[in-house]
Amino acid sequence: MSRVGIEAMNVFGGSAVLDVKALAQHRGLDLPRLENLLMREKTVALPFEDPVTFGANAARPLLDRLSAEEKDSIELLITCTESGIDFSKSTSTYLHDQLGLSRNCRMFELKQACYAGTAGFQMACNFILSQTSPGAKALVIATDISRYLLEDGDEAAAQEWAYAEPSGGAGAVAMLISDTPHVFQLDVGASGYYGYEVMDTCRPAPDSESGDVDLSLMSYLDCCEQSYRAYEKKVAGADYRDSFQYLAFHTPFGGMVKGAHRTMMRKVAKAKGAEIAEDFERRVMPGLEYCGRVGNIMGATVFLSLASTVCNGGFDAPRRLGCFSYGSGCCSEFYSGVVTPDGAARLREMAIEAHLDGRYRLSLDEYDRLLSDRDFIRFGTRDTAVNQDLVVVTGNGGGPRLVLREIKDYHREYAWVG
Amino acid sequence: MKSEEILPLIHEAIVEVLPELDGHDFQETDSLDALGANSMDRAEIVMIVLEAMNLEIPLVDTFGPQNLGELARHLADKTAVAR
Repeated sequence: MSRVGIEAMNVFGGSAVLDVKALAQHRGLDLPRLENLLMREKTVALPFEDPVTFGANAARPLLDRLSAEEKDSIELLITCTESGIDFSKSTSTYLHDQLGLSRNCRMFELKQACYAGTAGFQMACNFILSQTSPGAKALVIATDISRYLLEDGDEAAAQEWAYAEPSGGAGAVAMLISDTPHVFQLDVGASGYYGYEVMDTCRPAPDSESGDVDLSLMSYLDCCEQSYRAYEKKVAGADYRDSFQYLAFHTPFGGMVKGAHRTMMRKVAKAKGAEIAEDFERRVMPGLEYCGRVGNIMGATVFLSLASTVCNGGFDAPRRLGCFSYGSGCCSEFYSGVVTPDGAARLREMAIEAHLDGRYRLSLDEYDRLLSDRDFIRFGTRDTAVNQDLVVVTGNGGGPRLVLREIKDYHREYAWVG
Repeated sequence: MKSEEILPLIHEAIVEVLPELDGHDFQETDSLDALGANSMDRAEIVMIVLEAMNLEIPLVDTFGPQNLGELARHLADKTAVAR
């Protein structure tokens, strides 16, 4: 049998975080409605943080644990993002440089809204399975930020943004893919995919987002069912209720996952009220823990949920996880894999929760100042010095962290600090 | 299926998802949003109506109507196409 999957993974949930309830009170939002989002905190990207710094800070702890020989065996670097910083030059080129990877390495950037992380993961797994370069590893980095500007006078967009603001996050997940899948062994070929053209959410112009909440939710729910139906066709005996001890969902916000799970349990597993609630707490909640502390990080979110499941679930024996990935526009996939007790122990060693706990807590004044235009680096900026005011205070006492220092003739200049 | 037959199914679905609206005098011009349904409630109401109608179409094909009357007419059109 072919073995492939995640050898090691890490999450970077940013340098600074905002309390979502305080934000909602500050904005005068309806609190019960906010509680339905199941969000506690959201990561806020600081002026010196961009998709490159997020991605590098997720990947560096993985690479620091490798020998020079192992590091040089990385022959593929895929960056998965919808927050690209150049239409031509890929984010992978900066990450490749900052992470010191071998020059004998394929690199490119991949886009399919929030499905991008899964697309990159599956392509990397296929690279390993193909055995075109035996012994090679792949590095997949999903990284996204939801820092965007409101154009003056757009009242409808402002209204829409009110409830999106508490759930929009920033962060990255880095995954080393190989034929020694210690953390998550993919069930090879056990994939159901489903996609079609729909205009639900998009980024039609630099630094802005557009979309319709209802249409996006409907499309997510359609895909949740249809991708699983496609999985069932490929996997004899698959059972939504019994085949997976845990379920990791793409999580725009927890409340949406709760609704999707309820729908799936009702339609596919023919379950009712109390049983659905118990199943949600047992199989889904472990995966929502980190998502509720970072916010939606688009392409990386399903893997943030996977990491959260592994770190917060019970793995005294091997357990199978079902994963649902959805990206607007749209493409979706339901797939599965196995996590062993050893795999869970290895991921917990990355101390993701301690990192999340250690983030700098922004005051609402600081947050509002960040939202103001002054320090926001627009797409296409040619030259600028980047505000470093919060670099020291957000240091977190941890290991080296990449920060953006300046942009010179369009080139982004970074530095490792701490 | 005619829209007049679909409207009572919509009313029942709303009450199933939002029990506090039991006994409410629904108007065709009511919007689900104004009745207090959030985005997940709105999707669930439509799903329940589709099941009651035994109509298997993607949820995204029910997108667009702005009030209960429009939704009923939209779904009536869909049943005409489905047949």
